[in-house]
Amino acid sequence: MIAIEAVSKTFETEKRRRLPALCDISLAVAAGEFVSILGPSGCGKSTLLYIVGGFVAPSAGAVTVNGQRVTGPSPDRGPVFQEFALFPWKTVLGNVMYGLQRQGVARQQALARARELIAMVHLAGYENLYPKELSGGMKQRVAIARTLAYRPSILLMDEPFGALDAHTRTRLQNDLLDIWERDRKTVLFVTHSVEEAVFLSDRVVTMTRAPGRLKQIIAIDLPRPRSRAALLLDRRFQDYVVGIERLMDSADSGAPA
Amino acid sequence: MRARSGIATVVLIGALPIALIVGVWHVLAATGMAPPSLLPAPSAVAARLVQQWSSPAYLEHAASTLLRLFAGFGIAVIAGIAIGVAVTASRWVGATVTPLVRVLAPVPKIALYPAFILTLGFGDASKIALVVADAVFPILLATAQGTAAVEPKLAWSAQAAGASRWRCLLTVVLPAALPSVLTGCRIGLVISCIVVFLAEMITSTDGLGHLLVRAARSFQTVDMFVPLITISLLGLLLNAGFNAVRRRLLAGFPETTE
Ligand SMILES: Nc1ncnc2c1ncn2[C@@H]1O[C@H](COP(=O)(O)OP(=O)(O)OP(=O)(O)O)[C@@H](O)[C@H]1O
Ligand SMILES: [Mg+2]
Repeated sequence: MIAIEAVSKTFETEKRRRLPALCDISLAVAAGEFVSILGPSGCGKSTLLYIVGGFVAPSAGAVTVNGQRVTGPSPDRGPVFQEFALFPWKTVLGNVMYGLQRQGVARQQALARARELIAMVHLAGYENLYPKELSGGMKQRVAIARTLAYRPSILLMDEPFGALDAHTRTRLQNDLLDIWERDRKTVLFVTHSVEEAVFLSDRVVTMTRAPGRLKQIIAIDLPRPRSRAALLLDRRFQDYVVGIERLMDSADSGAPA
Repeated sequence: MRARSGIATVVLIGALPIALIVGVWHVLAATGMAPPSLLPAPSAVAARLVQQWSSPAYLEHAASTLLRLFAGFGIAVIAGIAIGVAVTASRWVGATVTPLVRVLAPVPKIALYPAFILTLGFGDASKIALVVADAVFPILLATAQGTAAVEPKLAWSAQAAGASRWRCLLTVVLPAALPSVLTGCRIGLVISCIVVFLAEMITSTDGLGHLLVRAARSFQTVDMFVPLITISLLGLLLNAGFNAVRRRLLAGFPETTE
């Protein structure tokens, strides 16, 4: 379980100006829960994810995971970054292998698992290409495989499907749901797409514009396993999407900080 | 990736100014505008070059120069990268080394040469020390700057995967900074070529620099040109070798213009 307790973050900029990014965020995420975070650009969604990941320290408040205070990164919390952050000098296979090697998995086993993961994200045959030789969507899939490789129980995903075409996006959403249904990982998922958030999540968290505060948390009471085709025709799905979009609009039109 | 014919064109265009210089040189020498005692004909130099390159004594001199060059450059690479990484990795090292580097980097290292000779003697060690002193700074600075500029999310990805700080530094931060590090190394290599020659010119009993000074003292202009051309060709060769290594190491990085 993730407990975010009264977390605030203020950045000190180069010229010693103080830049508030997050303001008093409290949120509890249950084990195995899928929670999406929606908010206007620059409201601190990535920052919140970095704090939970232990990459950035909060200015105030704390994050605990299963009762233990987060003080740094751990393989239990796997990030998938907005900008992929693949290792450019490693091939697809090398990137996916990295975490397995750090976990001390024997080479043969690691190779087998890496190939399995690469096939799972539909990249079989691309093992020996470098990231620069891949499209944006392919890079993102490698990044997801690289993180899944070391079996984190918590996934911290920052707009993982943001750069993808609609078709690939839908396919990866379904793949992610499959993985999630199977392994019941806890997922904290940042997105700009209301539809995506509703489709995937148990709960959707909306944030105000910067400095980000929690605006409203909406529980998505839709049956699982979910099928996109069925949901698109489902009145309740449509209501959630329209309702949250309205809420977001009111967040955007709020007075600038 | 450039086509093979494209590479040939580039090489051709690159050879043009060199051919021009040799041409002008030839005309100057042939027309007697420059007296042969000062400027020998390129053909005379070329003939001597071929003769010398098959002479074991000459090759021994070249080998001494190369040995000092490689030893000095090698130590500079290892020390420069190690210190450069440490400057980025540790606030303490950064705080102590950075001012030191700022003070030492602009000092003309040749001014330290007498001190090196006094402490290390007239042999190889003092010359190697001078090469190291000159070549280490560009490598160190490029490494420190390159590693500091590495996208933090690369390091985070590694740490989340379970890499320790050290692991992360060696397996992610340093490789990610490699384009910058290698640029520093290339500058260091050119400097090494210059400095080893210079050191041999100042005090030596062997090496290409020594041959040049010896020839100059006895006004043998042809023999002055031979070591000069040898070191410049060696530099060209080393640079080509360096580029081959660089291309291999940077296979995954976006291509850069050189
Ligand atoms: N390292 C940093 N130094 C200073 N300010 C920062 C830093 N990182 C983020 N910020 C500021 O914090 C705020 C939140 O940034 P963040 O990247 O978390 O937003 P976001 O919600 O993820 O935006 P987007 O949806 O565009 O990705 C922004 O105003 C940004 O300028
Ligand atoms: Mg973001």
